[in-house]
Amino acid sequence: MELKITGLTKRFQDITAVNGVTHTLTPGVYGLLGVNGAGKTTLMRMLCTLLQPTEGSVTWDGKDIFSMGGEYRRVLGYLPQDFGYYPDFTVYDYLLYIASIKGLRSMTAKERARELLEQVGLTAAQNKKMKKLSGGMKRRAGIAQAMLADPAILILDEPTAGLDPNERIRFRNLISELADTRLVLLSTHIVSDIEYIANEVLLMKNGEICASGTPQELLDAMPERVWSLDLPREAVAGYMRTYKVSNVKTVPGGAQLRIVSEEKPGAEAIPEKATLEDLFLNYFGEREGESNVEI
Amino acid sequence: MLRYELKKVFSRTSNKIALSLLLALVCLTCFFALGVSWVDENGDSHSGPAAMARLRAAQKEWAGVLDEAAIRRVIGENQRIHSLPEAHRDTVRDSNITYGRGQGIQEIRSLLNCSFAGGFREYDYYRADALTTEDAPLFYPNRVRLLREWLEGEARDQFSEREKAFLAEQYESLETPLYYDYALGWTQLLEYAPTVVMIAMLVLGYLVAGIFSNEFTWKSDAVFYSSLYGRDRAVKAKLRAGFCLVTGAYMATFLLYSVIVLGFLGADGGNMAVQATFGGWKCFYHITLWQEFLLTALGGYLGCLFISFLCMLVSARTRSAVLAVMLPFVLIFIPSFLANISGSTVQKIIGLLPDQLLQTGTALNLFNLYSVGGRIVGAVPILFTVYTLLTVCLWPIIYRVYRNKQIG
Repeated sequence: MELKITGLTKRFQDITAVNGVTHTLTPGVYGLLGVNGAGKTTLMRMLCTLLQPTEGSVTWDGKDIFSMGGEYRRVLGYLPQDFGYYPDFTVYDYLLYIASIKGLRSMTAKERARELLEQVGLTAAQNKKMKKLSGGMKRRAGIAQAMLADPAILILDEPTAGLDPNERIRFRNLISELADTRLVLLSTHIVSDIEYIANEVLLMKNGEICASGTPQELLDAMPERVWSLDLPREAVAGYMRTYKVSNVKTVPGGAQLRIVSEEKPGAEAIPEKATLEDLFLNYFGEREGESNVEI
Repeated sequence: MLRYELKKVFSRTSNKIALSLLLALVCLTCFFALGVSWVDENGDSHSGPAAMARLRAAQKEWAGVLDEAAIRRVIGENQRIHSLPEAHRDTVRDSNITYGRGQGIQEIRSLLNCSFAGGFREYDYYRADALTTEDAPLFYPNRVRLLREWLEGEARDQFSEREKAFLAEQYESLETPLYYDYALGWTQLLEYAPTVVMIAMLVLGYLVAGIFSNEFTWKSDAVFYSSLYGRDRAVKAKLRAGFCLVTGAYMATFLLYSVIVLGFLGADGGNMAVQATFGGWKCFYHITLWQEFLLTALGGYLGCLFISFLCMLVSARTRSAVLAVMLPFVLIFIPSFLANISGSTVQKIIGLLPDQLLQTGTALNLFNLYSVGGRIVGAVPILFTVYTLLTVCLWPIIYRVYRNKQIG
């Protein structure tokens, strides 16, 4: 089971949303990390055959996915970022309808829907109309629909958007359970979503994969180091403008800054162990006021 | 899949309201269609089942072959009614009493007015009152004579010689004498049928407009298209849902309307020629009232199906239901504006627009003629053939347009 992406490019008139992405994905959890507008959704939509690429190819076990048609979509489960549903359907009916267009037989669909409702914790809400569900419940229904046909490829675009911390943890655990024998590609701009569960992280910036590897490999390859530095309050603003600051913690008499920098930012700076958040900041974070990173 | 597609339509509150509105408007139309009254011997007007029964009984007395003898009897009866004292008084009550006495021969009297009119396109309500029994033999020949005079006079430039010959041939070949019966159920049914069909079309247009575009409106398109059947069977299910919805809702509407009207007014006279009714006297198609009903129902269905499919195409193409909902209004009302443009070519084009199918009863009475393969034919057979083919062609077009959508 191998999803091979070669030179994948998508242009919308004069905008290049995805630019020459090449990567090979095998079973496991892949975290696609990037700021908003990095091209994650466009890449995922091409992987779901929703969009035709301008250039490049994607093959599943050697076959072009755009030529495979239904054969490819049979192994695909997709949760879009902007997950839409049929507002007047109950959760159960919604799952049965999606099961029908995913080619599941009626009896199998009913059985599978019940299993998944149980798994995502929606059994009690199965007769509720979709429009009456909370944001978190809708996302869970979305995950359930993506899992209906037990897909070999599971593509989840910003699956934790709008979820509260409890639901995000619950979701991470669910993905870990599901990822056992399948390829899961998970896009997010929330670092903690993938920190614990991703086998490989793909960092996407300006439509390109700028770095990839296991979290440890990426951290090891990070050219810059992470420092902790205590400063008086009045010096904080200056450091924020000069350095990439991943965290500011108020302490008595001043603040403790966590700085990503190749050079030691001050005589009192203490080296720290880098985390994925620091890595994210290193690749995507700009100086103060320019980042839209959510950590 | 089909069941869920229909469920998507029927679960929407706005669609439920639209269907309720359809039901209410059909009931209202039935109310108007049943608005038949009986005037008693005192000149008082009555409505309701008892009045309908009396009117039916009065007209049934004159049922039979409309031969020369029957026409003489009708003219004689009309003369008798108008010789009575009430016919010579000018009060409303007396006028009503006179009218009431002639209710049994009312329809045949209208035919006399048509037959003995001063011109093909003229109608004089009092013409029958001036007739004598000696005029009876001219009842059928007048129909052909007036047509010929019109074709050589007023309509001289409107038709080609072959078309004129075709119309004359159609008129002459009508099998006479006609059979007459009480047929108020059918005539009322056919008179209000276009209203019912138009209302059904507007509501159906609204219902089907969302079948394709709602996937985009609800943002469920990404899941839909990334599923196994999202680009084939699920699209076909949408098309089937549109077809079933139009078929089911139209048939139910028309059946309900027909059952109510015929149930109250009676279904007698279905086998009489349309020419034996005031509305069909000039019709050149040789059909019975029952056949006209069938053509009206089928024409309405075909028109609704074609326009609904066109709505679905617009909805699939534009990803929006707004334009699709407007389409039936445009197709129904634009011909009314175009009708003001003179010129036989424009009129011939208007005669083939899809709105004609929604009012097949009217189209049957229009003299829209076309030359097809060297033969002159009326608009109705062409409308049925052309729009059946176009509807069939729309199916794969909608399928292709929708299945190839890209979701960016």
